[in-house]
Amino acid sequence: MSASRRWLRTEYVLPVVAFATVLVAFLIVPGLAGEQLNQGSYFNAFQGFAPLGLVTLAVGLPLIAGEFDVSVLGMQALGGVLAVRAGGHSGLLGVAAAVAGCGLLGLLQGIAIARLRLASLPVTIGTYIALLGLTNVIASNNTLTYGNLSASVWVDQPVLTWFSPRSLITFGLCAVAIVLFGATRLGPELKAMGSDRRAGRVAGVAVERRVAALFTCSAALAALAGALFSYSSASASLDPGLQPLILAVAAAVLGGVSLSGGRGAAWGLLLGALAVALLEELFSIIALSNSTTQIVFGCMLLFVVSADAPDLRTTMTAAATRYRRTDGVELP
Amino acid sequence: MSAIPIRRPPALDRVGAGRKILAVLGLATGVAIVIFAVLTRRFLTWDNIKAIFSSASLVGIMALGLTFITLVGSLVSLAVAPVAVVCAMAFLSALGLGLVPALAIAMALGAVINAGQGALIGAWNVNAVILTIGAGFLIDGFAQTVHGGKIILPAGGGYATLNSTPLGVPVAVYVMVGLAIAFQLVLKRTVLGRQILLVGSNRRAARAAGLPIGRITTAAFALAGASIGLGGAFLGAFNTGASTYLEGTLTFDAIAAVLVGGTAITGGRGSILRTLGGALAIAAISDVLLLRGLATGAQILFKGVLVVAVVVLTQVRLSGRDT
Repeated sequence: MSASRRWLRTEYVLPVVAFATVLVAFLIVPGLAGEQLNQGSYFNAFQGFAPLGLVTLAVGLPLIAGEFDVSVLGMQALGGVLAVRAGGHSGLLGVAAAVAGCGLLGLLQGIAIARLRLASLPVTIGTYIALLGLTNVIASNNTLTYGNLSASVWVDQPVLTWFSPRSLITFGLCAVAIVLFGATRLGPELKAMGSDRRAGRVAGVAVERRVAALFTCSAALAALAGALFSYSSASASLDPGLQPLILAVAAAVLGGVSLSGGRGAAWGLLLGALAVALLEELFSIIALSNSTTQIVFGCMLLFVVSADAPDLRTTMTAAATRYRRTDGVELP
Repeated sequence: MSAIPIRRPPALDRVGAGRKILAVLGLATGVAIVIFAVLTRRFLTWDNIKAIFSSASLVGIMALGLTFITLVGSLVSLAVAPVAVVCAMAFLSALGLGLVPALAIAMALGAVINAGQGALIGAWNVNAVILTIGAGFLIDGFAQTVHGGKIILPAGGGYATLNSTPLGVPVAVYVMVGLAIAFQLVLKRTVLGRQILLVGSNRRAARAAGLPIGRITTAAFALAGASIGLGGAFLGAFNTGASTYLEGTLTFDAIAAVLVGGTAITGGRGSILRTLGGALAIAAISDVLLLRGLATGAQILFKGVLVVAVVVLTQVRLSGRDT
């Protein structure tokens, strides 16, 4: 494939186009609606990006390798509660407890999935339910409030006007993922695992180890997102609902990840997450109601997932062929 | 000609050994749970068994239909709760027309909403999990727009019939058992049921055999939608009102019942009666934990662990059969 053709592949084009479109909309639409963008708009968008970016990495990296991890929702809830429980005196200790605890659970889950060659979706649905239960047990069935005010203030203080430590941590981890994905063999290996597990194994990818590592990272990232979010809101909720997963999947798909695995890149995940975060802030600037926002994101997800469907192209080719036949043009 | 010795790769041997250990562990745990349950005071009383059946009924009715989606190879629907709530709203609003028309409207609405999703999934092989997440989000947003945050109240009194308890057993339990038998007959005795199993076990073979995969998947989703609509009607009747707050953990409870029943997530293997068993098992275990004085958190935790355990056992058993 020539260099120019290579850059026309979906995994390169989609994230750039999606991000650019959303950015243009973000800059123009508020003006049309009689609202004005200010420094706070960018700050808020990046605040929204802070947890979203982490969860997008947590969902997107396994997706590239052909694994779907629903348990990130549970890890996020558990991470939030662990951080609040353990971080009363030291915020750092709370984050460490959340990341280590969930990372360990993620490792166990990953080893089981890899060793026993389990389908990740039903297993992670089970662990998601179990994690919600565990979160409830640890929190004694009550929403926890976080008393460590200095940690709450620290994570959300403005840095360089537009950013906060919370969003900068997410940017930093995205950068690490991009470097690891692009500059080492990790990227091609994950894609090989996602497109053809057996071929990847034959080509020498240590599939089991990669799967275990992926679920560990995914759990740790989700826990970090949950921990920082609960610091920011000074409380830990027991059930985040499905919304974080929905937004993260939308971000991953806009970032060029194929839901059947084998396609995508870490920088695409970053752009996808930024696009969704900007959209969310845009909707809040033009004061779109919650339900309308939901409808828009729902439609977007339906459209994107349908366009990504494996049999759509076959169906379209078949239809085009039929059309050409009736047109009287001879087929080769 | 001398036979070439076939050596199983060590990785497969590991899976084989793990399989045996898991089977023993699974059996031991199952026996332990049964002993634990029987030794729990008041577990084996008629009132308690009735309580288990009635607490299983609502989720059970929806899970029975959801099994078709899993069997046809479309994994699960993550839009169970939003569809149920919308159907509950439609049921309560239509009660002015009488109970039977309202029930029919709820079931038809559920069937239509789900058939739409099934059509896309069947025709283009769209990722079912993500599509149903998106659809659920959309339906939820739509429901919120329609009811504007208010609770929809019954437009007639017919809902009381659904809450009645003939011979001391709630109507929902009769419906659950009746539906399980009807759906099991559909699955095992009709052409559609056979087709659903074939599409689920081997989509490519089903296509090669000339089966209309799109239509079969749509039908499976429609059956699921009708049962979710019926469950939604009971949901609305129990709560004498409907709003999106009713969604709770309905979706995952229904999925848990299907998975605990042992229906294979990959499709093609399983049955409706297994799901009935799954729903009852979850209800029984929650009941034991409740009798032992454990709080909600522990019950959810145990349910999740049970799902993981059964999923692991089912999959390891199936993959063992294939190698």
